[in-house]
Amino acid sequence: MKLVLEPEECTGCKLCELACSAKNEGVFNPRKARLKIINRYIKGGREVEGKFCTLCKKCLEVCPTEAITFNGKWLTVDDELCSGCGECVDACPQGVIFLNDEDKAAICNFCEGDPYCVKWCPRKCLKLEVEE
Amino acid sequence: MKSYMGRVLRIELSSGKVVEEKTKEEWLNKYYGQKGLGFRYLLEDIDPAIDPLSAENEIIFTPGVFAGTIISSGGKLAITSKSPATGTITDGSVGGSIGAEVKYAGYDAIIIKGKAERLVYLYITPDKTEVRDAEFLRGRGTHQTDFMLKKELKDEEVKIISIGPAGENLVKIACMTSELYRQQGRGGIAAVMGSKNLKAIAIKGWKDVTVPNILSFLRTIGEINKKHLLIPDNSWTISDGTLVFGDFVNDGGILPTRNFQTGVSPTYKRLRSEMVDKRKKGNKACFGCALACGNYIQIDNIDLEGPEYETLNMAGCNCEIPDLKTITQFNKACDDLGLDTISVGNIVAYIMEMRERGIHDFGISFGDVENYSKLPEKIAYRKGIGNELAEGVRFLSEKYGGKEFAMHVKGLEVPSYDPRGSWGMGLAYATSDRGACHMRAFPITEEVIEKTVDPFTFKGKAKLVIDGQHYNTAKFSIGICDFWALDFNLLARLLNMATGSNTTGEDIAKGGERIWNLGRIFNVMAGFRRKDDTLPERFFSEPLPEGPAKGKVLPKKEFEKTLSEYYQLRGWDEEGIPSKEKLEELEMDKEVIEKFERYLNKG
Repeated sequence: MKLVLEPEECTGCKLCELACSAKNEGVFNPRKARLKIINRYIKGGREVEGKFCTLCKKCLEVCPTEAITFNGKWLTVDDELCSGCGECVDACPQGVIFLNDEDKAAICNFCEGDPYCVKWCPRKCLKLEVEE
Repeated sequence: MKSYMGRVLRIELSSGKVVEEKTKEEWLNKYYGQKGLGFRYLLEDIDPAIDPLSAENEIIFTPGVFAGTIISSGGKLAITSKSPATGTITDGSVGGSIGAEVKYAGYDAIIIKGKAERLVYLYITPDKTEVRDAEFLRGRGTHQTDFMLKKELKDEEVKIISIGPAGENLVKIACMTSELYRQQGRGGIAAVMGSKNLKAIAIKGWKDVTVPNILSFLRTIGEINKKHLLIPDNSWTISDGTLVFGDFVNDGGILPTRNFQTGVSPTYKRLRSEMVDKRKKGNKACFGCALACGNYIQIDNIDLEGPEYETLNMAGCNCEIPDLKTITQFNKACDDLGLDTISVGNIVAYIMEMRERGIHDFGISFGDVENYSKLPEKIAYRKGIGNELAEGVRFLSEKYGGKEFAMHVKGLEVPSYDPRGSWGMGLAYATSDRGACHMRAFPITEEVIEKTVDPFTFKGKAKLVIDGQHYNTAKFSIGICDFWALDFNLLARLLNMATGSNTTGEDIAKGGERIWNLGRIFNVMAGFRRKDDTLPERFFSEPLPEGPAKGKVLPKKEFEKTLSEYYQLRGWDEEGIPSKEKLEELEMDKEVIEKFERYLNKG
């Protein structure tokens, strides 16, 4: 399971980030989104890139309390086990893990297969690809 | 109240003092946010008679109520001040991400007063606000300022709004820029920034914006989007953006060309097709908006978000500039230097006509691409002829003559709609709170686009303009962009969902009228009366030479009669002064009514 962005269609509206933080954290706050869209002007052009959980499992590997597990489809965090050490935050190559208000790791689980970010993309350029 | 942050940030630049205070809760259900809240704070804090470029003037940043939430088109930021171009109150809104970022930083308003000793910028986060040295940015364009500040702050995510050299040099048509191509355009507010030695504001926020019951909020907004936002009527925002207005306007024969000498452009259609069909590379949205009206284009090595309709015509066809690349370069230069492209285009066409008529020779004729391309820099740095052009069309006409074709109202240059083929638009320009503006009421919709109303009559237009002014004022105060034409009931529903209030569409209509009157109170106290609510002579006496509006002028006597009708319907006297009864009926707060009474009694 993975998220894919078609950069030429992305408008940079960030509705995906807002939907993510609303669904998963109960607030509107792009710094509490489990994905990140870069869509900005740089000298001489425009830079568009999506940062998502790629299921590389680096977070799982570094977690000292084994709070992060993979169920074959997505990663889950056991809040009881999570100590809020932030090792996973530092290890994530995409930079899309953060510690939430309860100091627990917030990691994308593709909204359990029905991701709000995808649902809210008005250009339908953010997609969920599921491997058979 | 939910969706609000509850805090206001005040910065006094003369002393460097920064204070936080609570947002005045009692104002929120009367004035909402954005325009309304900005107006209310400005009237509370300053004497409307002051010099706009004095340290006493304020510059107020107020996001819309929905900024930071998932409500599309709700992310705009109003910037309110006393305008150095007109002397009226003025609010301009800027899109992009900066409105939401003010909320994420924790504020419903940022209010700036005083004057710093040296050039400074503000760095605002939820933790602290710093007044920092900006001498290293002096003379830099807004684009370079954006890149340099991100580097200095080591943060690519920080949101910046800045002025270019035009604002630093107190150019009366200077605008503010955020994220390169998002402008607060009109009224010269950037010159107020310049007068305060304030180069830029950099904001980084990480606070939550909350609404009651967020999951049901998401569900309902999703349904509203399907039914009212992402519908065929709004598809132009993605396909063409604002260029679509020019199609209607040109077909209606009111596309300003050769400084409003005619209303039919031989080049508009070619240029707009080239832009959309050949040069467009994609759409760019403001933060949190599905409409994504920005056209991102590339021509050879030049890239730009734009030109918008107003720029393409006012700074293009109106000056008889024949090619898109030249206009695109001009547009980019203006964005970077911090110049309002509407006013620049109007001024340039005016001096072109001055030469044509032998009134004064600034050395540039219609279609003179070479000299045209040099003007933005000259104006922004006040070099050579630029020093006088920087003062605007009104100044030039007072100094050199040609007042009858100096196309401004109250010192603000007329934008890209000729009212001779849309008489309601004429009344809208004359009565707008900030001079000639197309965003206060827009009868073009009924008169030219939908064609539901006869454009060549004043009958019924006083009411049409009044309704439009209340509608836009309410929308721009609660915080929905011009480009989503939702009705009052839906606006009330959104407001209730976002804040937990219990408001009706009628309340909001009344709110729009209340805020409109607040603006008029400010302007009356700044000295504006009936004689100022007028139009350039050309619209009254020079018939359009061709097209659907051929032979038309605005009959002056009828215009004056309609203006009286407008005042009467508003409950204002013959000079345009709001009555106490009207203000009480509108439930204007007591402090405002008393302040206004004291002014009127003083004589």
